[in-house]
Amino acid sequence: MSHLFHPQTMGLTPFLFFTGKGGVGKTSAASATAVALADEGKKVLLISTDPASNLQDVFATSLTMVSKAIEEVPGLYVSNLDPEEAAARYREKVIGPYRSQLPEAAVKQMEEQLSGSCTVEIAAFDAFSSMLTDPRIVHGFDHIIFDTAPTGHTLRLLQLPTAWSGFLKDNTHGASCLGPLAGLSDKKGQYRETVQALADPKKTMLMLVTRPEVSANKEAARASAELKKIGIANQYLLINGRIGQSGTENDPLAHAFIKREHQALASLPENLKEIPTFDISLAPFNVTGVANLRKLFFGSQPIQDHAAVSENGETHSRYPDLEVLVNDLVTRGQRVIFTMGKGGVGKTTVARKIAAALAKRGNRVLLTTTDPAGHFDPMDPQGGRLTVSRIDPKKEVRDYRETVLNQAKEHLDEEGLAYLMEDLRSPCTEEIAVFRAFANVVEKAENEIVVIDTAPSGHTLLLLDATESYHRELAHSAGEVPVSVQRLLPKLRDPATTAVIIVTLAETTPVYESERLAKDLKRAGITPTWWVINQSLVAAATADDVLKTRARAETPWIRRVTEDSEHHLVIIPWMDKGLTVKSS
Amino acid sequence: MKSIQIFEPAMCCPTGICGPGIDPELIRITGAVHNLRKKGIAISRFNLTGHPGAFAKNQVVQNLIKSDGMEVLPVTLVDGTVVKKGHYPSNQELAEWTHISEDEIGKKQHFQIKLNVVNK
Repeated sequence: MSHLFHPQTMGLTPFLFFTGKGGVGKTSAASATAVALADEGKKVLLISTDPASNLQDVFATSLTMVSKAIEEVPGLYVSNLDPEEAAARYREKVIGPYRSQLPEAAVKQMEEQLSGSCTVEIAAFDAFSSMLTDPRIVHGFDHIIFDTAPTGHTLRLLQLPTAWSGFLKDNTHGASCLGPLAGLSDKKGQYRETVQALADPKKTMLMLVTRPEVSANKEAARASAELKKIGIANQYLLINGRIGQSGTENDPLAHAFIKREHQALASLPENLKEIPTFDISLAPFNVTGVANLRKLFFGSQPIQDHAAVSENGETHSRYPDLEVLVNDLVTRGQRVIFTMGKGGVGKTTVARKIAAALAKRGNRVLLTTTDPAGHFDPMDPQGGRLTVSRIDPKKEVRDYRETVLNQAKEHLDEEGLAYLMEDLRSPCTEEIAVFRAFANVVEKAENEIVVIDTAPSGHTLLLLDATESYHRELAHSAGEVPVSVQRLLPKLRDPATTAVIIVTLAETTPVYESERLAKDLKRAGITPTWWVINQSLVAAATADDVLKTRARAETPWIRRVTEDSEHHLVIIPWMDKGLTVKSS
Repeated sequence: MKSIQIFEPAMCCPTGICGPGIDPELIRITGAVHNLRKKGIAISRFNLTGHPGAFAKNQVVQNLIKSDGMEVLPVTLVDGTVVKKGHYPSNQELAEWTHISEDEIGKKQHFQIKLNVVNK
């Protein structure tokens, strides 16, 4: 049994964290909570640590790290803590003093080493932890609300301090492989304090935000379990975007939404059932502007904006569908196809669809997936033309560690091996291990088109490149850099061979996130071949008013992605598993 | 006593395991430095990411980078004089400079099991 979320009557703690996978509505829920509490006369600070934050759009004002008072809501202060900016500052702190003292080539090399996602996360955590432990900030507000980054990111972020306290304490080598963390090791005390505050139920509540969707719930369940493990047990579940029974009868899309909602709630993971649960209704409006934020926690309301609804004459036929993309792949003869995007946008689904379509056209196709959920439904082998393999990142890391340790055994004693083990704990290890694994897959495929539902980050590619050329110059034997990796690197940059497809949704967070992915790839000289907007409501016809308004909200994002992709965009209509919504 | 300094390219970690392949050279040098330090030899490694200050302070290394590019790394200095460029020193070279036997430098120590035998 659940109730509508009502922040005013819940006895909220001073620190509130909203977490959940990208696009579930963390920012909306956190912002609306902040406004509700401030309206009660509380002094509230709302901080976004999401690199893809849209708090500026929500409050229609420019924001920086320095908190800004929101005029329409007395008592509310908002700040945007962009971790990429924080990372840039951190990078400058490390490199800056040497910029004039070291040759340019050396400075460039350092910059790339400090441009990885690890550095961004560490810098974000650092900034966020200094807020939590600054007495001036903590005592100046009744509530500090964090609209944190997507789940995987958040987990690592929050897990860092415990990992570190252990790491820093056990590290007996002085010159350690803290890598990008090295510059921050003096802040141990501050991080310990942060962890204590997070684990204290009198101080911190964790709001797990989800949508009535199976995959979002799985993600929430995983976040819940992991955070509980590191001591953050004071958890609440917010189910955002409930359509309830308000859907228009006989509308196939509304019906599909309701059906999906029932399925998702019926299959709610066990560990989420123990958590107090609240609902937020599907908003028949874009959650921007203070007026709309004040409406969010009330049930679904009739739409006042009729003009807006009727304006929804946007026709889906204007956008090309997946067939266009597949035809293009065939015409260009690309043999390696990556679908990439943040969790939850459906990159595995899109990879499956592309693989199936290519096989249907008579090609031999190898589909490789890294889907951590591992719930890969069997696919039609299409007369043996389609094969599916799976890369398990955890297993790859394990294997990679073993290989390294085996090679090292000859040279190192026990202490030396312990040192190496520490190096192997570095966060880059997983990305490298997975990259090696799919380099193997690509290498083995001779006559097959390889479709992979993940892609390396630009940072990894640049590092691999640097290492590879370094090895080449040292005239080392080819044995060290696996042949598969050596051959894959140049292939990746060759549009005649490789297609990189960015998958996203026509919503704020997913679009921002995919733009960041594209930017990162560009650094490594790779331009995405196609962009795919998945689960589009615009492309699915509906008579339901709430859904119509939601569909209309997609338009600006579709326009933006059309520009980002230079018109290499295809749109897949919203549909449910086994329940296709006809787009006619 | 001689002091040995090795200036290395920017790496995420001293064993270089974050690269696409495992470089046995890096693992060998890690082991050798480890063993030499145990013998009381003053030997240091400076990785550009971790120790930019050491690079900034050392004019010899800076000049080498300017003239030969980053490929000149790793550079080894013995008492401030360049003795090796572009490669790590071999165990034999290390033995010559330190008068520690190659066997000791390349030695892999075995785990010692301490038994609590009561001596009568």
